[in-house]
Amino acid sequence: MPTETTAPPEKRTIRVDNLARVEGEGALDLTISGGRVIAAHLNIFEPARLFEAFLRGRGYMETPDIVARICGICPIAYQMSAVHAIENAFGVTVGGQLRALRRLIYCGEWIESHALHVVMLHAPDFLGYPDAIAMARDHGDRVREGLALKKTGNEILRCLGGREIHPVNVRPGGFYRIPQRAELAPIAESLKAARDRAIALVRWVADFPFPDFERDYEFVALRHPHEYPFNEGRIVSNRGIDIDIAQYESEFEERQVAHSTALHSLIKRRGAYLCGPLARYALNFDRLPAVARELAAEAGLGPACKNPFRSIVVRAIEIVFACEEALRIIAAYEPPDASAAPIEPRARIGFGSTEAPRGMCWHRYAFAADGTIKAARIVPPTAQNQPSIEADLMAVTIPLVAESDEFIRSRCEQSIRNHDPCISCSTHFLNLSVHRI
Amino acid sequence: MRLPPPRVLVIALGNPDRGDDGVGLVVAQCLRELLPSDVQIISASGDALSLIPTWADFDAIICIDAAAPANAPGRIHRFDLTAAGLPSKLAVASSHALGLAEAIALARALQEAPRQIIVYAVEGACFAAGAPITADVTAAAVDVARRVAADVDWLRQEQATVNV
Repeated sequence: MPTETTAPPEKRTIRVDNLARVEGEGALDLTISGGRVIAAHLNIFEPARLFEAFLRGRGYMETPDIVARICGICPIAYQMSAVHAIENAFGVTVGGQLRALRRLIYCGEWIESHALHVVMLHAPDFLGYPDAIAMARDHGDRVREGLALKKTGNEILRCLGGREIHPVNVRPGGFYRIPQRAELAPIAESLKAARDRAIALVRWVADFPFPDFERDYEFVALRHPHEYPFNEGRIVSNRGIDIDIAQYESEFEERQVAHSTALHSLIKRRGAYLCGPLARYALNFDRLPAVARELAAEAGLGPACKNPFRSIVVRAIEIVFACEEALRIIAAYEPPDASAAPIEPRARIGFGSTEAPRGMCWHRYAFAADGTIKAARIVPPTAQNQPSIEADLMAVTIPLVAESDEFIRSRCEQSIRNHDPCISCSTHFLNLSVHRI
Repeated sequence: MRLPPPRVLVIALGNPDRGDDGVGLVVAQCLRELLPSDVQIISASGDALSLIPTWADFDAIICIDAAAPANAPGRIHRFDLTAAGLPSKLAVASSHALGLAEAIALARALQEAPRQIIVYAVEGACFAAGAPITADVTAAAVDVARRVAADVDWLRQEQATVNV
């Protein structure tokens, strides 16, 4: 519930105690003094999750199922980053149809996560409703279409992952069970309808009223030689970063801040950056299929979009891409002989980085010779985006200082939702210091 | 004219691999022997939004789920939501998805909610991975199955009256 603090006109504090329609529990504090915005804090107060700590001592085969629990919306991102890191450490490359099935399950996650965010969580902001339930009374057909889109994504997850929330079928080397062609046929039919729904969704959201606002972000995303990125690629930025994922820690650092149980990620010596749909789109526009690029042009987007409010359009375009890609994979699918590549543990460090719906997810694991995890580091997308979200809040508010607190509060909440933050995923760290005297 | 029996859907929510969270699925197992064959029973693992399109085809639904411990393992709560929503204190604890309460409200906004909705919640004691269902909750499951069967009888009579 929002609360108001009574203060002299020259100093106003605008506070939202519990952010609605984001994944997890966070709050916002904004301080305006003398007509200037002097502080904008995204307070994340979810308890630390401690995943990195309790992964220590667990076996590599357990890892995908443990990290899936970090997030109910994007478990595939955590599973995929983990299995790639494990395979990277143990010198295994998964190719062919198993690799294609991994892209297919990722398509499912993008479809269900983006559909939920675009229609149920973000669209109400632009149409003036407090939530999707109120919006459904006037835009019932749009909500039904959104639910149908989400259902298609869920179907892919259920088929390949065993169930739609916290899937259980992903393992290092591939899958425990692979589908037959006949199992994918009804999903292809569902995807054809979903593609049409996604195209209609792009056209709907493209007409929303968008604030005239841009920021000069440093975009960071994976980039692959041929594909719009899911599981593989180099980490690139629009200001010259182009590194192997193993070099992530040489360019990026995490810092603790007092107002957040989630770490803030920064580019060393430069500061905030943005990952997620806007970054993927700007850095991989040429990797999108023609239908997605044409839709982007129709929606008024160029090859890069720096208006975070228009991220809703980019997400809808990514749903179209995911439907297209899923259909392409299913059309070419032949069940492989084995459901997983053989894998033998060894004492190594491995890295994995994949594109969660809301941005890049980076993992590093150090393994003992028997495949037991000695150390783990997981950098989720929301931790990376927090500094940029706070910079957005400052920039969005500056021209609005004369507006009412309620108007500013509403615009700030919308600004946070532009980035679909997954607060629960980001609160993964607790720094414990032991002083011995 | 003889009207077809009202369409009743029983939805068992839960995870069979997390101890008492699987109580709904145990109830569903018991109900397969207790309910008429034209009453559909489905299980779901948690995404309540995905249930909405299914609900539209039914006149009444009965949901069975586990509830958080509150010092009385096996205690059964029954909510008749025909004219109300779930109590706000029972709203979803998940930070990642819309829960049953929100799904019911959304279905009603879309005018796709069944006319009658009953929710059973059984207080659990142990939700550990791989744990069996505890004895108190197992006993409660049998009782819930009996009560759901009685509800189905009542709903079918009630609906028949409404239909006539």
